[in-house]
Amino acid sequence: MPLRVRCPAVRGLGSALNGARTPVRSAAVLLPPNPKVSTARQYATAVAAVPSNLRVPHDYIPPTSPPTARPADTRKSQLLRTYTSLLRSTPLMLIFQHNNLTAVEWAAIRRELRAALADVPQSGTEAVDISSTIHIEVIRTRMFDMALKIVEYFDPSKVKPTLATTLTGRKVKTVYNHDLSEAAYESVRAAMKSNKVEPDSSAYSQLSPLLVGPLAVVTFPVVSPAHLAAALKVLSPSPPAFPAPTRKKRPSYHEPIAQSGLQKLLLVGGRVEGKVFDIDGMKWVGGIESGLEGLRAQLVHMLQSAGLGLTSTLEGAGKSLWLTMESRRSVLEEAEKGPQEGEKTES
Amino acid sequence: MLTHWISEVSTRFNPFSASAKTARLFLTRLPPGARASGMNITTQLLPRASTEPSSLFIKFKDGHEMKLDCDTMNIKGVVEVVERHTRQLQKQADLE
Repeated sequence: MPLRVRCPAVRGLGSALNGARTPVRSAAVLLPPNPKVSTARQYATAVAAVPSNLRVPHDYIPPTSPPTARPADTRKSQLLRTYTSLLRSTPLMLIFQHNNLTAVEWAAIRRELRAALADVPQSGTEAVDISSTIHIEVIRTRMFDMALKIVEYFDPSKVKPTLATTLTGRKVKTVYNHDLSEAAYESVRAAMKSNKVEPDSSAYSQLSPLLVGPLAVVTFPVVSPAHLAAALKVLSPSPPAFPAPTRKKRPSYHEPIAQSGLQKLLLVGGRVEGKVFDIDGMKWVGGIESGLEGLRAQLVHMLQSAGLGLTSTLEGAGKSLWLTMESRRSVLEEAEKGPQEGEKTES
Repeated sequence: MLTHWISEVSTRFNPFSASAKTARLFLTRLPPGARASGMNITTQLLPRASTEPSSLFIKFKDGHEMKLDCDTMNIKGVVEVVERHTRQLQKQADLE
């Protein structure tokens, strides 16, 4: 593309356009600062003057590639970013250990999980059907561990801004708080040092013993006990509360391939809204009847009945006082009447 | 590890304790078709609050039984102990 040189006629147009669109930063560099050049229509000299004006500041950092503590272009770093975003966006997560499952067994398990989740009736409050977004996913344990550390110990909102040079050479305050940043790295390191002194102080230190060996996670985009129960019934059935699908209803679930895959899948724990739960805890969450709505209804009922109890208690004192006074009055009245009546009977 | 000579593996651990690592990693060392080839594998998960030590019980085809202490041994040690016995069994089978 040939360089565009500002000339009076063009400038008039440009100023008219400038109001409509935001000025591009790179355009400011391209435009020569010397007004003399712009007024003269000397295209050849203008091109000759370009190299000194087009030089990018030596400490310029492109906004699309901010500085990172880990190499940004490696697969591992991008995996780390994937896991941090997964951990931040997933309130409910089941953690499984998988012991040498074959590809066909994985396929069978995924098929059964998908079928079981599709059967979950959609509740009234949820606008979208989430069952298609629930997956079982094999993770890289070590990278997941690192991602969990970043999510637990790094607060992006607390990073202080630093000065960064723009293309024009100006210094602009910029915050580098992405997950691969120096700030994230340092905060995790500091937290791990203090963690040695004080174990079991955070959700990470509770969850870290689980992150051993080959792992797979089932991720739910919202805390939906109905979907969790469906997943538990398929992946880790426990007869009274979470029975496996019957042979009649899902014959493919009882095929040897699916069954041998399920035998090698081991539910070790879960994470619900940042808190760590064991198997019984996950069963409890899955056993919440009619989901969050049910819990809300229970709470409302509890508060209402408590209010009722309070009013009856407060009333009770007044009532009992009134009753005592009334009975006393009737006794006194009887006492006043009594002797007269007695006299009457005697006479 | 010559898992062919193992007839039974039973583990019992609390996944939230650090000592469960050995038992869990031993389960991952068993081949995909272990159950299909007649190995009896049972796993019992303990609740989170339990302080019971992790246990790993291995029974071999010659009837030898091993009860391994997961708290002190790591996976390398367990594999070494198991291999020592399975190598003997393999040698006997080869000589016969």
